[in-house]
Amino acid sequence: MTSNSSAERDSRSFRNTLLQLLIESQNSDGGWGYHRASQSATEPTAWTLCALYNENRGDGLSKQISLGKDWFLRNQLGDGSWPSFASQTEGCWVTSLACLALHEIAGDSDAVARGFEWLCQSWPRTPNFLQRLRQRLSSSGEVTRQNNSLAGWAWTTNTGSWVEPTSYTLIFMRRLSPKTLSPLAVKRKELAEAMLRDRMCPGGGWNSGNPLVYGVAGEPLVGPTVWALLALRDSGEIPQVRESLQWLEKSMPEIHGSVSVAIAHMCLEVYGRRVSAIDPHLQERFETDRFLNNISVTALAALELNPARNLFPRAAQEVAAL
Amino acid sequence: MNSPNTSLSPSFARPPARVAIRRAASYDMDLLPILRETLREFDLPIQGKSVLLKVNFVCHDPFGAINTHPAVVIAAREAFLSLGAASVTIADGPGLERDIEAIAESMRLRDFIRSLSTSLVDLNTDDVHPVALKTRASTLKKLYLPATVLGADLVVSMPKMKTHHWSGVTLSLKNMFGIVPGSCYGWPKNILHWAGIANSILDINSAVRPHFAIVDGITGMEGNGPIQGSPKSCGLLILGNDPVAVDATCARVMGLRPERIDYLRRAGLLLGHLHEEKILQIGEKPEQVQTPFAVLDDFRHLSIGLKQN
Repeated sequence: MTSNSSAERDSRSFRNTLLQLLIESQNSDGGWGYHRASQSATEPTAWTLCALYNENRGDGLSKQISLGKDWFLRNQLGDGSWPSFASQTEGCWVTSLACLALHEIAGDSDAVARGFEWLCQSWPRTPNFLQRLRQRLSSSGEVTRQNNSLAGWAWTTNTGSWVEPTSYTLIFMRRLSPKTLSPLAVKRKELAEAMLRDRMCPGGGWNSGNPLVYGVAGEPLVGPTVWALLALRDSGEIPQVRESLQWLEKSMPEIHGSVSVAIAHMCLEVYGRRVSAIDPHLQERFETDRFLNNISVTALAALELNPARNLFPRAAQEVAAL
Repeated sequence: MNSPNTSLSPSFARPPARVAIRRAASYDMDLLPILRETLREFDLPIQGKSVLLKVNFVCHDPFGAINTHPAVVIAAREAFLSLGAASVTIADGPGLERDIEAIAESMRLRDFIRSLSTSLVDLNTDDVHPVALKTRASTLKKLYLPATVLGADLVVSMPKMKTHHWSGVTLSLKNMFGIVPGSCYGWPKNILHWAGIANSILDINSAVRPHFAIVDGITGMEGNGPIQGSPKSCGLLILGNDPVAVDATCARVMGLRPERIDYLRRAGLLLGHLHEEKILQIGEKPEQVQTPFAVLDDFRHLSIGLKQN
């Protein structure tokens, strides 16, 4: 046996361990919590369903996937959105992840269409005249630098646009046929992509806050950078993607947490970048602290380790001209 | 737990607060005896209780000026355990970096505790319960809050001593922002910004009253805090049974006027004591250890105006 095939076998075995853990962690209501035996929540349920379905299109896992799908259908709110936890009555950022997962496992459906409609109708809040004036008159100079007219998506209703929820929605929209997008959806997509370009930190990468505060450049973070890059995957040659990919590649050796390592690796694969095998690194982390027992992290790691995944697929070669 | 400071009562009806200022030159020294002996002086009902240390873990922190230092966190954990606590949980819900494992790794927390998975709780992904807010400083009325926090007998706020570019300072009251779960409200918890930072600080601290505060002032941050400022060495640990009084004392140490810090002034009406005459100081006096912190121009009015040494 060659070392390559041995490595593949080890990788497969580790992935199976993660998948088994996910299967065993499904709650009796069909959803998954952030941790085993915790309240079912939309985000871990979405990522887990994506990971399970990307294993041979869910062959042999149809029962778990079906129960998970039912959980989503039961917990969709009347306005088409999803809350973070089933007991809540107001939809939020996880709606895009629910749409992504449901679309992944069941294609177009009424539930996805209603979720998407809610997303299209959900506009972020922008500072009013007085707030803008106060910022402009700040004696410490320009407080933040960003164009708030470029609307993306918010974490919760009636709050501002942020990189990560905007990216999740764009990632979901990329899975839809462009022909099916309404004029409003096309407009939202264009605005959101412009918003992401505007929010890049100086020098590349994105963060969870403002790219510039009181004239000081914000530090990029792995998560927002990865999701923004995945959202802008088909945007063509734009400097924001090039600079941010360079930042991510350069940062890779310094990335610490399990989920950051997994999604950064996945993102570089999506762009066809040469990356060293990540399996031993993730396995060591899993054996040390079991990803802090986090189901979303486990699901994203399982998805990343799947070489044949359909969601965030590995590019056969480096994405040209970036 | 029926701690006397859990009820909302006007400051004039509350007993005086107690705040201890202890010198601790560096993170390399043995902090456990300092914390344990100081905790003893407060005679807290620790025996058999579950203690939650609400630390301030923000992001990668190469100069040790952003996050509550692990040496302080671990010494506090050991101190509470040695005084009879049934369990001590380290917890936070970082507001910007979702990957709490990455933060812990960058701080080398694993050098201090063997297993992160059994010692550290990510409040961003905890189970949640709805909590009706007791005050109406903001329009929030209700928040979903982590079960781990709500189930703890003793909540200890453990911030870093820092300036903050939106609220002036971030100390034990502002630190409680970290109990608001990202799973529901995102990263950042932008709903709190729109509701008003000062208003949200008041409402959160009315809903979940920290029973005690331990401020890491060995190295703090001045200027454009809480992330982009400059490290500031103070060599202090500040502890107390009234978070408002602790924050007011910290502000005085930082060369700032607590009564001019909006949230602190308002907290002084209902949540604790702001005025020096209502704070029983243990150990060093604020004026003896005052180390003026640089502030952004927007917050110059907070400065006491003493000359720097």
